Amino acid sequence: MQTALSIAMDAFAYGMALFIICIGLSLTMGLMRVVNLAHGAFAMIGGYIASWAGRDLGLGYGFGIALAVIGTVLIAIPLERLLYRRIYDRSELSQVLMTIGITFCIIGITNYIFGPTLKTIPLPAELAQPVDLGFRSIAGHRLFVIASGLVVAGGLWFLIERTGFGIHLRAAVENAGMARTLGIRTEIIYALSFALAIALSAFGGVVGAEFLPIEPYYALRYMVTFLVVVSVGGAGSIPGALAACLLLGAIDVTGRYLVPDFGNFFFYLAVILVVCAFPRGLMGRAH
Amino acid sequence: MANATLQSAAAPRLRPLGRDLIGLALIALAGLSGYWLFPDNLAFLTRVISVALLVLSLDLVVGYCGIASLGQAALYGAGAYAAGIACINGITDPILLILIGAVAGAVTGLFTGAVMLRAHGLPQLVLSIALVQLLHEAANKASWLTGGSDGLSGMAPAPLFGVFEFDLWGRSAYLFGLCLLLVVFAVLSLIVRSPFGMVCRGLKEDPLRISALGIYAFPVLLKMFVISGAVAGTGGALAAIATQVVGLDSVSFELSANALVMLVLGGIGHLYGALIGTVIFMALEHTVAAINPFHWMTLVGAVLIAIVLFAPRGLSGTLDQIAALLTRRGGRAGR
Amino acid sequence: MNGTSFGRLLRSGALALAGTLATLSGAAFADTIKVGIIGPFSGPFALQGKNFQAGAEAWLAQNGKTVAGHDIELVYRDLPTANPQQARALAQELIVKDKVQYLGGVYFTPDAMAITPLLKQGNVPLVIFNAATSAIMNSSPLVVRTSFTLPQTTTPLGKAAVERGAKKFVSIVSDYGPGVDAEGAFKKAITAAGGEVVESIRIPLNTTEFSPIMQRIRDSGAEGAFAFLPSGPPTLGFVKAFSDTGLKKAGVKLFAPGDLTQESDLPALGEAADGLITSFHYAVSHDSEVNKRFVAAAEKAIGAPDLLSFPAVGAYDGMFVISKMIAATAGKQDAEKAVEAVKGLGWESPRGPVKIDPETRHITQTIYLREVAKDAQGRWINKEIASFPEQGDPGLAK
Repeated sequence: MQTALSIAMDAFAYGMALFIICIGLSLTMGLMRVVNLAHGAFAMIGGYIASWAGRDLGLGYGFGIALAVIGTVLIAIPLERLLYRRIYDRSELSQVLMTIGITFCIIGITNYIFGPTLKTIPLPAELAQPVDLGFRSIAGHRLFVIASGLVVAGGLWFLIERTGFGIHLRAAVENAGMARTLGIRTEIIYALSFALAIALSAFGGVVGAEFLPIEPYYALRYMVTFLVVVSVGGAGSIPGALAACLLLGAIDVTGRYLVPDFGNFFFYLAVILVVCAFPRGLMGRAH
Repeated sequence: MANATLQSAAAPRLRPLGRDLIGLALIALAGLSGYWLFPDNLAFLTRVISVALLVLSLDLVVGYCGIASLGQAALYGAGAYAAGIACINGITDPILLILIGAVAGAVTGLFTGAVMLRAHGLPQLVLSIALVQLLHEAANKASWLTGGSDGLSGMAPAPLFGVFEFDLWGRSAYLFGLCLLLVVFAVLSLIVRSPFGMVCRGLKEDPLRISALGIYAFPVLLKMFVISGAVAGTGGALAAIATQVVGLDSVSFELSANALVMLVLGGIGHLYGALIGTVIFMALEHTVAAINPFHWMTLVGAVLIAIVLFAPRGLSGTLDQIAALLTRRGGRAGR
Repeated sequence: MNGTSFGRLLRSGALALAGTLATLSGAAFADTIKVGIIGPFSGPFALQGKNFQAGAEAWLAQNGKTVAGHDIELVYRDLPTANPQQARALAQELIVKDKVQYLGGVYFTPDAMAITPLLKQGNVPLVIFNAATSAIMNSSPLVVRTSFTLPQTTTPLGKAAVERGAKKFVSIVSDYGPGVDAEGAFKKAITAAGGEVVESIRIPLNTTEFSPIMQRIRDSGAEGAFAFLPSGPPTLGFVKAFSDTGLKKAGVKLFAPGDLTQESDLPALGEAADGLITSFHYAVSHDSEVNKRFVAAAEKAIGAPDLLSFPAVGAYDGMFVISKMIAATAGKQDAEKAVEAVKGLGWESPRGPVKIDPETRHITQTIYLREVAKDAQGRWINKEIASFPEQGDPGLAK
């Protein structure tokens, strides 16, 4: 029982870290219909900025996160204006090609600037300490990830379902032409939601760095994981992404505990079964 | 659209046949000039041919059926491992090995197709990734059979027709590969223009209309998967014979993704687009990596972005546009 | 018309290719001896390739670019990940087109396996700077290796681990060739030393979340753990998880081959790796005159001191072996004579005294037991605490 609880706790933390990183991708793919394979690259940029802020500037963790989010969005804005805007209404394959190209460039440039070694983000003392939960001790950082994930999920749900911006966004997604005639400035809506997705990825890159360490190949190494999570959840659905992250996190973690030798088999078999059973994702929207 | 496609299928067949022959002759010419121009790079050129077969097979699925796949290397790797394992167990005739590879690829195509056709769009893409990862894992696990991550080595394919050895200079491997490519290309040209190929295209353009014609999509697409598997398996077997080592990289997501990039680069839905994409991408990678092995990735990335911005239909699409402008014939049937 | 354009494109691409290759090889003089070095200079393993380059260039910087009156020219070729097909193509091109007399480098086993069948026909010896599976040496008599094998570095760990008061061990390795080698070697060594491996766990290479594995270690009740994972993200995740989940505090002792604590990973591992015991053939902090000079030259070549790690010393010694081969054959291309000349060759390497075993052509060397600690300047290093001289490769000794 204790073991099961302990595993569940780990699975929950891991799933939440995945959720924070992936939810931005789910939004771009589901709402804006852009297959942004460079999503992980932005998470990586966030991680690098936070690591630089923490190690070289000596800033605190909170400042590091803020700097990472702002910095990554600032880097992404010109990319959105110059490159992404051209592929919003293009075929998925063009989007794949373009965003893989962007990923390659970002990897090459980070490798050049920061070198090929792993970068860590210094944690504040409160988060670095193990916390005693009674049945086991868990790294304080993991509790922070779980809390952040819940806040992100709640905040996004509120933003999209309950605010004026959310209504405009959903309108622009359902029917861009109609939304424009009604006076919604879809370009701005798209730019804002793109910025939001990037900000979330940067945030995820920083808080998830203990699970997915920051190094130049981050962007390619975890590309598949991110894509799988988003698609299993159903692109564009926040509860779907949450469910997918928790489900896949649980399968991954318990699989690795019970049969570590075949951990990957379990994971991908589960993916195949879920996709076959729910071809639109766990909570995907019908097109 | 689908109607136009079907009509053009019924159009006189002599002209396309003639064009095919010219196309084949040009490929042969290009291949032979490669042989004369770069007698010292034949191992690289053989690699280009085997990857070109993989990209061609991917084009059948992506370009002609509209099924996105990031797991095509599963079929390629199945062919490579089947040929490799057969070779180690005493079947050393290269032509027989190619056939074994093709059959293994086709069987794998049957299975992956049956799974992948259950979904559409992004979930389908993810299924293809999951399948190739699963096979990769299986090949790693079964190291008693496949050599695992150390690679399957120790193959000694017999000389082709008992005369031409697969040696350091790689002449026989290259010419053998070129012949294979020509045969496959000729067969595929016929297949994609056959009524069956047209139905596939129709399913891509307008599935509803095709099903209204009383055609059930699943077996048609599955058949294309099997053909695609045979082509990819041929490529894998060629790689196994020429390299005499099969590594886990031949069933990897990376190879699948590279193949897709090459295909989109060359232009989907044209057989020759697949060839152009492969040759340009691999030549670029090879040259840039030789000039500056340390930073080629940035440049390749920049080229990919430029292609999307300036040659949106891939290189072959752009060539077509130019050709159409020059001859005012605009020969893009089926679009 | 499409075909014409295709042909034209192919030819222009091909001509561009030829042009660049020609400029690369244009500077060849009659008495320039070319050495082709194949390694991962880009991609996820670029750090290892950089170390190849730093090691080779450190050797040239110290010994000059001339050996016995012959100029040496290094030709680098990039092979980012294990890809035997590409390895064969690169090696063929180096031999046939660039006319290299020696091949060096090679990071991955399957790549080496794809190159060895070419050596005899090409009359070229291959000096392996890294690829560490025992079987490579049997695939061609023209291969010499200056790196290590996992059985070689792991075997001394068995006795050391039991001496440190642990009897029951759990072994955790990444599920691929080298991991399986390490697992086997450790089990054998532990059993020979009177200990016991109670559980052997193999985990997929791409594992990033290690808490469930830590739970397994806890459940197994072992007093000691043995781990082998490739350097980079998996290592970091593993070592962090080991300390985060409290196993380290609970007194479970962690032992590993030195791959786990590569110097380039140490700044990131930091506190979490403190006190970790590893066994390996080379530590950048090794205390000797030869090593100090090597480190100074190699750090200059690689640019940043914290990037330097073990592949550099393999490359440095590899260059030494190649220089001896050049001297022995007086610059003539004679692979068999060259390899024959270095059999039994012994010298003082930055890692300590080494020798090329005349039977196996693999390097015999001292294996050190090291502990992760801070040096006087506060940098994390692998501090050598014991040494096991003249270790051959148990995987090859039959």
